[in-house]
Amino acid sequence: MFKIKISLFPKTKSLENKIDSFHDKVIDSAILFRKAIEVFLTPNSKDEYRSVNKQIKQIEHDADGLRREIENQLYAQNLLPNLQADVLELIESIDKINNQINDVAYKIYVEQPEIPNNLHSLVKNLCKQVAECCENMGIASRAFFKDLSIVRDYTHKVYLMEQESDLTRNEIKKSIFSSNLPLANKIQLDLLITEIDQIADIAEDCADKLLIFAIKRDI
Amino acid sequence: MGAFIFFLSSGLFLGWSLGANDGANIFGTAVGTRMLRFRTAAIIASIFIVLGAVLAGSGATDTLNELGNINTLPGAFMAELAAAITIYLMVRSRILTSTSQAIVGAIIGWNIYSAKPTDLSLVSTIASTWIICPILSGIFAIIIYYLTKMFLKLHCVSLLKQDTYTRIGLIIAGAFGAYALGANNIANVMGVFVGANMLHSLPLPYGFSLSPEQVLFMLGAIAVAIGIFTYSHKTMDIVGRNIMQMSPIAAWIIVISQSLVLFLFASPNLHSFLIAHNLPTIPLVPVSSSQAVIGAVMSIGLIKGRSSINWHLIRKIITGWIATPIISALICYISLFVLANVFNLQVYN
Repeated sequence: MFKIKISLFPKTKSLENKIDSFHDKVIDSAILFRKAIEVFLTPNSKDEYRSVNKQIKQIEHDADGLRREIENQLYAQNLLPNLQADVLELIESIDKINNQINDVAYKIYVEQPEIPNNLHSLVKNLCKQVAECCENMGIASRAFFKDLSIVRDYTHKVYLMEQESDLTRNEIKKSIFSSNLPLANKIQLDLLITEIDQIADIAEDCADKLLIFAIKRDI
Repeated sequence: MGAFIFFLSSGLFLGWSLGANDGANIFGTAVGTRMLRFRTAAIIASIFIVLGAVLAGSGATDTLNELGNINTLPGAFMAELAAAITIYLMVRSRILTSTSQAIVGAIIGWNIYSAKPTDLSLVSTIASTWIICPILSGIFAIIIYYLTKMFLKLHCVSLLKQDTYTRIGLIIAGAFGAYALGANNIANVMGVFVGANMLHSLPLPYGFSLSPEQVLFMLGAIAVAIGIFTYSHKTMDIVGRNIMQMSPIAAWIIVISQSLVLFLFASPNLHSFLIAHNLPTIPLVPVSSSQAVIGAVMSIGLIKGRSSINWHLIRKIITGWIATPIISALICYISLFVLANVFNLQVYN
């Protein structure tokens, strides 16, 4: 018995899958980033960190490929003609989160900064907040394509986590500069913490844009 | 027959201008928002306008003929020409007008010149449809807007699927709109020639045939289709990009609301259904598709809180309602006088 299945959405299905995978990447990247810090702060785990760093790099590379494919398909097949510019901007902004996570993970791998023990929990906490911020941003962005009604819930979480991460960053910076570390170390750690916090800032910028795009998407 | 074709030219010209302008109302938003290609839109619109005109064009035409049955070709020619000149003048004066109002004015002008009585209750019925048309279109737009919103909320349709549905919806709504436009507005283009029609019936395969009236309507509809192909692209761009900067779903709502209104005022089947069930009937009168669009756009703007009632636009429409038929009647009266006394043509029997 032959079954003929005619799909109304052959083009959109493949693009939908790519958009889904792209969002998976940002969520994976955020989860791995949290893990990377845990690993880095564990003694004698340089090899394991290298492996996690490699995974983050691979995710970033895959996400770049997906981003290009999504962009090409959107224009080549003239899908979402009225939202093309918004979708591209959103995808590119989300991709910046992956890039920043990759940059920070690589920076840690190359510089191997010495983080005092008393700061470990704070740094872990900062990375956890940043990662949660990115995860929520990924979910919010996916919701833009699937279920507009929950976009606001997740962008709200992004804002909340970004504020939390700012507070933690300030606390860490105060601790760094009140410590007896050499100035060079202090500056190195300060830059690192700033860059980690910037991941959340990028996610916040994405959320801002997303909310505007969501208003535009409404009929 | 040569003279018939010559006199028909004014109607064909009006048909061409109707296609150039009103074609944009049907597919303008779809083409302007790049949801559909112009070629696809023009082909669909042409096919369905011809179908609407041939299959259901008689309803609104009968009403116009009740108002005044122009019974000579020169008279019909002049009525159409007077309507065309009026529209040209109104467009130049930036007053919102419609072919329907101009043709009604021209028929009244012919009635006055030929000393035939004008059914005032019919005039008031027709005039009331001009007011009802944009209001009804606005009401439809509001209802469809909320229904669509509810549907999207309940079914969580993904953005890309929504895009596909909207494209299909725009094609169906456009086809329906074209059918309704053909059925409703062919009366403006060819209605006055019915009384003096010299065409013969056209046999079709499988035992079907077109009556002389349907052949006349088909000619008019072809003129409308040519208008769409040759000149509506620019108007579609204006409608799609400049006037209505809204989402494709809103565009679909506007097209479907406008189509429903045109259909209601054109469908003889619906008319007889309402009569059979003792329900209040809707007069079969040619109405303005542009004003139906304006009604729908304004109501969507209002419920979205993006605009308030545009009184300037409403003033322009009301001016059109009053000025268009009066000017058209005047032009028709004077032209009939010239035609009868200078060219010695018989403008009425």
